[in-house]
Order: sequence, then C-alpha cells, then structure tokens
Amino acid sequence: MFAKLTRWYAQLLSWLLAASVAILIFPVSLQIFSRYTELIPSYIWTEEMARFFFIWSIMLGAMVGIREGTHFVVDLWPAMNTRAQAALRLVASVFVLAFAVVFLWWGIDFTRFAFNRISELAELPLWVIHVAWPLAGATWVLFQGEHVWNDLRTLIRGPAPLP
Amino acid sequence: MSGATLLDPATASLIMFGGFFLLLALRVPVAFALGLACLPIFLIEDRLTPQNLVQETFNAYNSFILLAVPFFLLTANLMNVGGITTRLVRLSRDLVGHFPGGLAQVNVVLSLFFAGISGSSTADAASQSKIFIEAQRKEGYDDSFSVAITAVSAVLAVIIPPSILMIVWGGLLTVSIGGLFLAGIVPGLLIALAQMGTVHVYAKLRNYPTYPRATLVETIKAIGVAVPALMTPVIIIGGKIFGWFTATESACIAVLYAAALTMLVYREMDWKGLHGALLETGRLTGVALFCVGTASAFGWLLAYYQIPKALLANVAEWGMGPVATGFFIASVFLVVGCFLDAIPAIVIVGTVLEPLAKSVGLDPIHFAMIGIVSLAFGLVTPPYGLCLMISAHIAGIRIVDALKDVFIMLIPMFAVLALVIMWPDLVLFLPKLFPPGTL
Repeated sequence: MFAKLTRWYAQLLSWLLAASVAILIFPVSLQIFSRYTELIPSYIWTEEMARFFFIWSIMLGAMVGIREGTHFVVDLWPAMNTRAQAALRLVASVFVLAFAVVFLWWGIDFTRFAFNRISELAELPLWVIHVAWPLAGATWVLFQGEHVWNDLRTLIRGPAPLP
Repeated sequence: MSGATLLDPATASLIMFGGFFLLLALRVPVAFALGLACLPIFLIEDRLTPQNLVQETFNAYNSFILLAVPFFLLTANLMNVGGITTRLVRLSRDLVGHFPGGLAQVNVVLSLFFAGISGSSTADAASQSKIFIEAQRKEGYDDSFSVAITAVSAVLAVIIPPSILMIVWGGLLTVSIGGLFLAGIVPGLLIALAQMGTVHVYAKLRNYPTYPRATLVETIKAIGVAVPALMTPVIIIGGKIFGWFTATESACIAVLYAAALTMLVYREMDWKGLHGALLETGRLTGVALFCVGTASAFGWLLAYYQIPKALLANVAEWGMGPVATGFFIASVFLVVGCFLDAIPAIVIVGTVLEPLAKSVGLDPIHFAMIGIVSLAFGLVTPPYGLCLMISAHIAGIRIVDALKDVFIMLIPMFAVLALVIMWPDLVLFLPKLFPPGTL
C-alpha cells in the first residue's frame, strides 16, 4: 500500500519534471524570436518565467533523485554483504533525513516570508516558487523513509528474496 | 560580512571541511553533505539561521545562466533518440575507421563531434558507453581499455565549445563566454589528437582490429548526411561570438535545432522518445544542479569567514611566477576534481583562486582554461569521476579495474595541459583575433 502510494507519487513528480523541462524552452525561444521578428512583441516576463520553471525542474529532479538513488555519492568502501550495505545505508539515511527536515522546517518559514510578495516583472506570487523547498523536504522524508524501511527489513530478516 | 563572528575562521573551516569529508566517507550524497556541513555553523552563529542555507540555494538556482545546463543536456538526449548520433558515428567511421584500433578511433572522433554540439561530458559518457562498450567487446577489445577510452574521450565535451563549464565559469567570474568558447578549440583538438595517438599505440601493441578504408564516395555521402548536424556548433558559437544571442539562448537554439533536425530532416523522433529525452534531462539536471546550490551555500559561508583569503595569504608569500602559479592552480583543480563535481568546484575553488591568478597577471581566459581543462580531467579521476563511473557502470566492471588504462591515457593529456599552462597564446590567440569589446 505504502509502496504503491510512493510509486504513484514518484510517477506524478516525474511527469511534472518532464513537463517543466519542456516548458522551459518556450519563454527562452520567445525571447529570441521577439528580438528578431516583428511578429511578437518582446515580453518582459520571459526571463523570469524561464528562471521559475528552471528552479522547479531542479527541485523536482532532486526529489526524484532521492527515490531513484541517483544523487552522486563518493564510494570508498569495499564490496560488502547485503546486511552490511543496508546498515551503512541506514547511517547515511539519518543524515539525509536530517537535511530533509531542515528544508521542510526552514522552507516553511521561507515560504511564509514570501506570502505577500510578488515577482518584479511578471508579478507572480513568490510563494509559488518558494514552496518547492518545504515540498522537497517533505518528499525526501517520504522517499528516504521508504528506503529506511526497506533497509531495516533487510537488516533484521536478511536480504529479501528476489521476486 | 562585517562585525564579530562567534567562531574564528580556523574552527569554522574545521567544522565545515571535517564535517563534509566525514559525511562523504559515510556515503551521504555530495549535495547533502555540503549542506549538512554548513548546518552547525548556521545554528551556532547568532547572525545566521538555517534559512540562510535555504536562501543561498534559492539564489544559486535563480540564475538565467545556469539554465543553459538543462538545454545542453536536452540537446544531447535529443541527438541520441533522434538519430543524429547514428549519422555522426557513420561519418566518424568513414573518416578514421581504417586507422589501427578503428572502432576506438571512431569513439574519440565521435566525442569530438558530440563535443561541438553538446556541452555536457556526462551526457557524452552515458550515450557513448551504450554505443561503444558492447561493440568494442565483440571486436575483441579489452573491457578496461574500452571503458577508459570512452570515459576519457567524453571529457572533450566540456573543453570543446559549447561547454557547460565555460558558461558557468564565465557567468560566475564575469569572463567573456564567447572568448572562452574560442579559447577551448585548440586545446580540445590537441587533446583529441593525443587520445587518437594513444589508441594507435595500444592498437599496435595489442593487435586491435581495423576497418577497411571507406571509399571517397561513401565518405562524401556520410558528410552530406551529417552536414545539418555539423552545422550546430557553427550556429551556437557564431551566434554567441557575434552577439546574436546570450549563452543561455544559444543553448536553447541548439535544442530547437536538434529538435527540428530529428523531427523534420531525419524523422526518427516519436512521442515516447521525446518524453524519455525530457525526463532524462530533468533527472540529470536535478541531481547535478542541486549540488551547485548547496556548494554555493558552502562557498558563501567560506567567504563569510574569509577563509579563502586566509588560505591564500600563505600561498602569495611563496612568490611564484605566472607559470608556477599556473601549475599550482592546475594541481589544486586536479585534486579538488578528484572529490567534487566540476560545477561546485568552480563555485568554491574558482572564486578562491581568482585573486591569486590576478595577482600574478594571468589572463582571465587563460586562468579559466587551466581550471576547466584540469576539472575536465577530474571527470575521470577516482573516487569521484563522473564519466568513469558512468562508463564502468554501463560496462559492468569495477572502476578500479579500468584505472590503469585511464592513467596511461591521461599522460599525453597532461602534456597538453602543461602546454596550455606554459604557452598562454595557445589558448589566447583565437580570442585575440577579435577586437577587445566585441566578445
């Protein structure tokens, strides 16, 4: 049930991630074409819009990266058995969770701080961007929590039989 | 940056660097380790709160220049799914397939073409490992050699323009990105030549196979098919140099051009491929750039305590000349490149070393090229050599097993780096052709 939920949530995030990368192209293209053709007026909000979607794609990518375990690590350890690996991952998980909590806790302040502010050019409400931080924190807690759960099971019961 | 701090710089740097290395050793992801190493200080200092950490990461991402990174990754991914890469492989094979070690030579030349279109080495390593390692295995090449040459040739992507590292460096240290693009051409070509020479020696010693020479007609045909793809670097670099568009816009043009080629000219793109390319781009953008955010916070805190200044106070007393300083800068970047990704390394170390380079009169473009070439080598040096990790992972061998060949291949490349340091005009003569102020 829990695993199904996180899988569904990760799918949603991946979809949003692909979409935000695709959207990035529009404002920047618009910016170039409006400079060289008369067809479209040069909008002033293109750069700002591009930056906002850029920020969201980084944060979404960083969220998905925790579930998929693709964040870069420096691995100096020799090959170990499954249990020892799980134990080591649990230690690292404690720190990842701590960082996630920092982003969640101070990210909420960060978002609240931006509630009444709007962006300079497009006049977008700023909290729409800032909210990516607490969301990332919460998402990491969820995804890393799932890893912790699996590693604990491995540690106690030994490696799970392959399906 | 003024007023008293609770901690003195020595204690602060001990906490930060000690914490960072400890967390790395525990296999905490680099991006998270950088952020967590700053955390105690944000909590201890009265004037700082962890909200500064959040704010600094936000400031790092809120940048129009870094936006070029996803665009270059997307260009590379579009090339791979849309058939541009296959056509470039064909052309490379017709050009150099008949040299000893044909397939490995093709590997290097394809990286050269790829480097002119994409600015990302990791994208190059990922796609070429999939193309070449299995194929080279079938033709009887040793796995360690295949992994090493694929990883080592991938570093060309950040030395030959366009390059993500040049855009980041130019944006961060306010150096002309057009100038950097021009400066990278000669060292990039020299490194590719050095690699082809290395492959030649290997192939002679180990009797690696070769292809029959392609006929002139075949070669001309292959060039004809690949010409639209090969126009990309001309458009990107030309557009940047002549000021038609900014670095980020030129990366966006590369995306549009690659998309148009794959959809209209080569017609190999479908919706599934497009979605895959977008998602892959997003994933890599996320993990690579998230690191930049926390590295920026780390660098910001170092600057808050003026630690870089304290470290360099001693170095300045050594009284090195420009060449010695060049070698010093290269070795710092080489060592740092072993442990850190190139972009955070620029953020942290590039800004630290800039005053030193300035004090001995290194040209900013020359300084940048020493740094970028050294950091590019860091992409294949363990423990943190991203290109090597990717190639070894795809080949299914341990990094340790490919190390010997990697280091052999690096030797001639180091010779090129030494040449770049000792002979500034090697990189500077192309940018100098343009009158100052136009770049």
